[in-house]
Amino acid sequence: MEDLKKLYDAILTGNFKIARETTQQALAAGIDPQALVQQQMIPAMDEVGRRYEANEYFVPELLISARAMKASLELIRPLLAAKGAEPAGRVVIGTVKGDLHDIGKNLVAAMLEGAGFEVIDLGVDVSPEKFIAALNERHATLVAMSALLTTTMNSMKTTVEAIKAAGVRQKVKIMIGGAPVTQKYADEIGADGYSNNANAAVALARKLVAA
Amino acid sequence: MNDTVRIHLRPMGVTFEVARHTPLQDVLFPYGVEFPCGGKGKCKGCRVRVIEGALAVTPEQERMLSAEERDGGWRLSCQCRADEDLVLELAQWEAQILADTSSFTFAPRRGLGIAVDVGTTTLVAQLLDLEQADVLAVRTALNPQARFGADIMSRVGYAVAEHGQDKLVDVVRRQIERMIAELLEAGHRPGQEIVDVVLVGNTVMHHLFCNLSLEPLSHYPFATEHLAGVTLSGADLGWEIPGNPPVRFLPNIGGFVGSDILAGVVATHLHKDSRPNALIDLGTNGEIVIGTGDRMLCASTAAGPAFEGARIYMGMRASTGAISAVRIDAGGFSCHVLGNVPPRGICGSGLVDAVACALDLQLILPGGRMQGGEKSLTLADPVKISQTDVRELQLAKGAIAAGVRLLLGQCNLDAAALARVHLAGAFGNYIETASARRIGLLQFRADQIHPAGNTALLGAKIALFADPEIFATLARKITHVSLSELPDFQDTYVEEMLFPA
Repeated sequence: MEDLKKLYDAILTGNFKIARETTQQALAAGIDPQALVQQQMIPAMDEVGRRYEANEYFVPELLISARAMKASLELIRPLLAAKGAEPAGRVVIGTVKGDLHDIGKNLVAAMLEGAGFEVIDLGVDVSPEKFIAALNERHATLVAMSALLTTTMNSMKTTVEAIKAAGVRQKVKIMIGGAPVTQKYADEIGADGYSNNANAAVALARKLVAA
Repeated sequence: MNDTVRIHLRPMGVTFEVARHTPLQDVLFPYGVEFPCGGKGKCKGCRVRVIEGALAVTPEQERMLSAEERDGGWRLSCQCRADEDLVLELAQWEAQILADTSSFTFAPRRGLGIAVDVGTTTLVAQLLDLEQADVLAVRTALNPQARFGADIMSRVGYAVAEHGQDKLVDVVRRQIERMIAELLEAGHRPGQEIVDVVLVGNTVMHHLFCNLSLEPLSHYPFATEHLAGVTLSGADLGWEIPGNPPVRFLPNIGGFVGSDILAGVVATHLHKDSRPNALIDLGTNGEIVIGTGDRMLCASTAAGPAFEGARIYMGMRASTGAISAVRIDAGGFSCHVLGNVPPRGICGSGLVDAVACALDLQLILPGGRMQGGEKSLTLADPVKISQTDVRELQLAKGAIAAGVRLLLGQCNLDAAALARVHLAGAFGNYIETASARRIGLLQFRADQIHPAGNTALLGAKIALFADPEIFATLARKITHVSLSELPDFQDTYVEEMLFPA
């Protein structure tokens, strides 16, 4: 559909005004909001992720695309909720205790949202208790943790242990990322997955919720 | 004819060989000669004295130097090439310290003093005669901690997460001890006493030299209670220095902003100027100070080592074989290579120039992507810049530019309102300001920007003469701002990653 392709393009080029306008027009014309998400928004963010991974897009492009996607999603989300549509998964995400770096975490959050996940972003310097409280309140099935420093990375381990101690480890999958993090570290602390960039994080999240 | 010439430097007593016709600017910097005007023959900061051999007098030098000075062998080293064997006396430090301490209540002291700039990447130490404020000897070395991490956060990580504190403390103390021994060998005469040793550096360098725990600096809120200056004795350090002087590491300002910046504030008189001014240190840990007469704010930004040529595909330090400058010539790149040899890499100033030229040639788009999806650009075979290099530069310049913008915002100031922007550090000295403006690293008018040389070392030298209380009081007067806690941080940083169209 010609007009809906405009939404795809607006997200790809990061034009949030056009993204919002096109979404408004489409919804007014009675287009199924679920179809907008599935056929335009998710494919657009997938392409953004592909370009990012291919070094064609950089952090600024990724974030402006995410902003356009969010402008559209804000209009669609209430309609989806009203219809009782289930998201691809519910993710609690945050930068771990002691760490303030959130650009990488925000990129992952945006990409997950663009992929149809419901994202509960707890921000930075998030304690294990806050992660657990959010998990319980929001019935999330996925926890995503970020750390940028070797010195704060250890908070991931304490958070995983706290989730176990709280007795909710079986209910959730845990994924981690950030500059110092490796697959080996993920294995060591008993996380379910590791990703080294925002695009791969989406594939990982999809895999973990399907498992 | 031999292709190399020999240069001997006084008072350090250093001799080295370089390719014939090598510009002196390319080889003298590591020995403490600075080029405040950027090597354009517009100041006298880089003057040297010819003792043996000859250096031609160019029109710039006729304008800048009096007939008396020229007859006395004085030359502007930025305008000269080594065409024959030379013996040169480097004396510009003397001029600088005397000129810059004029407003200080400094009284000549008996004995000798040592000033050390403990940089994350390089160490510079000078031996001074405190009666005359003469520099007797200079030594530079790489910081041996660098092999445990290029930037301060990786040093903190090594110290805390990998229990490497003792190692880091030990290697830097030993290296500085060696440098001091060499300084004394070169410039110390029997019977002279060393009365004072002053060191400056960022908070991590301070903690590592003084062996204070880095744990508080390893996580939010990244604040240490040990901001104060520390005085150690030779016995504490296992050093033997004639006269057994106190070894004083000057106080930190806050966060990661340390006494090197405090020294820079003193050296540039930022604290005495009633007009709004800024001091920017374009290093691995980019620091910014803005003074508005009545108050001063400072911040540090994680610019990373791109300006030092690290994490760059063919990056290298500003040494022989590095492309240090690039300009557009007939629609292509024309490169200047340090030391008059074939190019083998690129240093920070070359990278900034190259990207500035590539933006003008539309080979790089404002978003940072190379035109047509190219993965690299060849500057001068075999040296290239890669797409990833451009991304590294975007992160570095974005961090500095965002830091400046956020700090200006905290002061309710526009960039245009700053009377002066002092650039500290080696990179600030070498960088072509037009290129720095082109890529959006420095968003100021050309007339605002003043390369100020090694202000950390200059301030450390001033500290040898000044009341320690001046530094302690000043450190408390400067307010540290944690940029990443400001609500606009991410948006500003991301916006500043883009290049101006």
